[in-house]
Amino acid sequence: MNDETKRNGPTNKGLLPGILKGLATTAKTATRTTHTHEYPDVAPDLPPRSRGVIALLEENCTSCMLCARECPDWCIYIDSHKETVPATTEGGRDRQRNVLDNFSIDFSLCMYCGICIEVCPFDALFWSPQFEYAETDIRDLLHDKERLGGWMETVPPPPALDERAAEPAEVAAANKPARMPRGRAT
Amino acid sequence: MPEPTPDAAQTTTVAVGAGGLATADMVLNIGPQHPATHGVLRLRLTLDGERIVRAEPIIGYMHRGAEKLFEVRDYRQIIVLANRHDWLSAFGNELGVVLAVEEMLGMEVPERAVWLRTMLAELNRVLSHLMFLGSYPLELGAITPVFYAFREREELQAVMEEASGGRMHYMFNRVGGLKEDVPAGWLGRVDDAVQAVRRRLPDLESMLVGNEILTARTRGVGVLDVATVQQYGVSGPIARASGLDVDLRRDAPYLAYAELFGEDGPGRVVTRTAGDCLARLEVLLEQVHVSLDLVEHCLSVLGSMASGPVNQRLPKVLKVPEGETYVATENPLGFNGYYLVSRGDKTPWRLKLRSASFNNVQVLTELLPGTLVSDMVAILGSTFFVVGDVDK
Repeated sequence: MNDETKRNGPTNKGLLPGILKGLATTAKTATRTTHTHEYPDVAPDLPPRSRGVIALLEENCTSCMLCARECPDWCIYIDSHKETVPATTEGGRDRQRNVLDNFSIDFSLCMYCGICIEVCPFDALFWSPQFEYAETDIRDLLHDKERLGGWMETVPPPPALDERAAEPAEVAAANKPARMPRGRAT
Repeated sequence: MPEPTPDAAQTTTVAVGAGGLATADMVLNIGPQHPATHGVLRLRLTLDGERIVRAEPIIGYMHRGAEKLFEVRDYRQIIVLANRHDWLSAFGNELGVVLAVEEMLGMEVPERAVWLRTMLAELNRVLSHLMFLGSYPLELGAITPVFYAFREREELQAVMEEASGGRMHYMFNRVGGLKEDVPAGWLGRVDDAVQAVRRRLPDLESMLVGNEILTARTRGVGVLDVATVQQYGVSGPIARASGLDVDLRRDAPYLAYAELFGEDGPGRVVTRTAGDCLARLEVLLEQVHVSLDLVEHCLSVLGSMASGPVNQRLPKVLKVPEGETYVATENPLGFNGYYLVSRGDKTPWRLKLRSASFNNVQVLTELLPGTLVSDMVAILGSTFFVVGDVDK
């Protein structure tokens, strides 16, 4: 149908064919099964990459603050202190390590961009598709490290990549021949 | 009954002499909180009875200072903000930023990323158009089409979410490519979704094309001529519905559009000449078909492409060399341009955003005067804008 005939096409002929066509679609659809899910009773099927909530694996966190600094709206709060680990061997040196006191994400500010997860050099943060944490008080959206840690069990394994994807950086690095010491280059 | 005072008698005489009742113009505010406007656009209408004498869109109720915020964000953080001004075309908005940065860096993007980006941008276009194809009849009083539009949207949103993790704000573009490669089997699921949408789109069309009520409400209503389109810098489907044959995908090709809109490519620019509300809706509907064609072509290219990366290795701190550039892309609603000025820092010195809806909404000053209040909603809805894109 070209532009001109469509423009002069359907006119009011009493039967209203255009409206009948729409009603026919409605009647046809009424006989089909529904395509909606009864949400609270049927859980939605969410893909593993779905950005629902951020989970924290506390053991991996070194309180390096990279996530807090890279966050576009600064909604991650981290407090830590240094602890001295005494030397384990005779004549050894005492070591210092960071201990995480507080790690909170304010989900009332979070824009769900995932930059914190992307920049974390020690894989301490993960996305979970879990989304059912609405609160009646906005202050309860500040999740502390225990609550963030609790989301860890809902984190799904990442999906396999497309067959035409480049091999992951980890695999490429492992397959690279070891660097020869200087002067013995072949 | 008291005698009418001489003053009153005089008034009556004058009114009759003026040809009817004495009327005064009434100022009517539509919005900012009004169910007939989507978002917080405020229209100040001056009415002479039912007829609009003057219309003035008053914008800024949703101004979030995006351009200023860009100046204190690095280029990855800018994507977070940039995909939010037009929340219906997040992917297209991200694209402009990364294309501008890549141009300044002289960075070559892997071919696989180029085709994936093109496909995702077209899927995003379909999503945005379907939203308006559903919401516009809703504003005209037809409730049913929106359910069919959203059924198809859901189908496409599922594949977008599977790849990017987001349903609206995808955050999938990065300078140099995409965040990560798509999951295994995803391309097949995109194909399934596109076929499903194609198969069921006639359902939505049956509600819109040839519907007598819709036609009566929109044909010949709010006619926009090409001269006004050019004066106001209107772009996108609205400009094309008035007969302005312009589409950046063909006229200033980026990504893989040079091939798609080339000699044997599936791309074509949809235009109408009527310039009324119906023409604008028709352009949108036909563009959905064109975009689905483009997605199918992208799928066939991606299916026969050599394997490779989808992004570039970036330095820890990404600094853009000193200079300036302007990159415009064809967003679902029109031209979306970023003017990037860098002084060699990791943040831009200035990132000006030229959004489509801002210009498109200004034309209401010309479109509305002379029309009736009852047509106002039909015209307002047919200028297809997103308030976030107007107010930035």
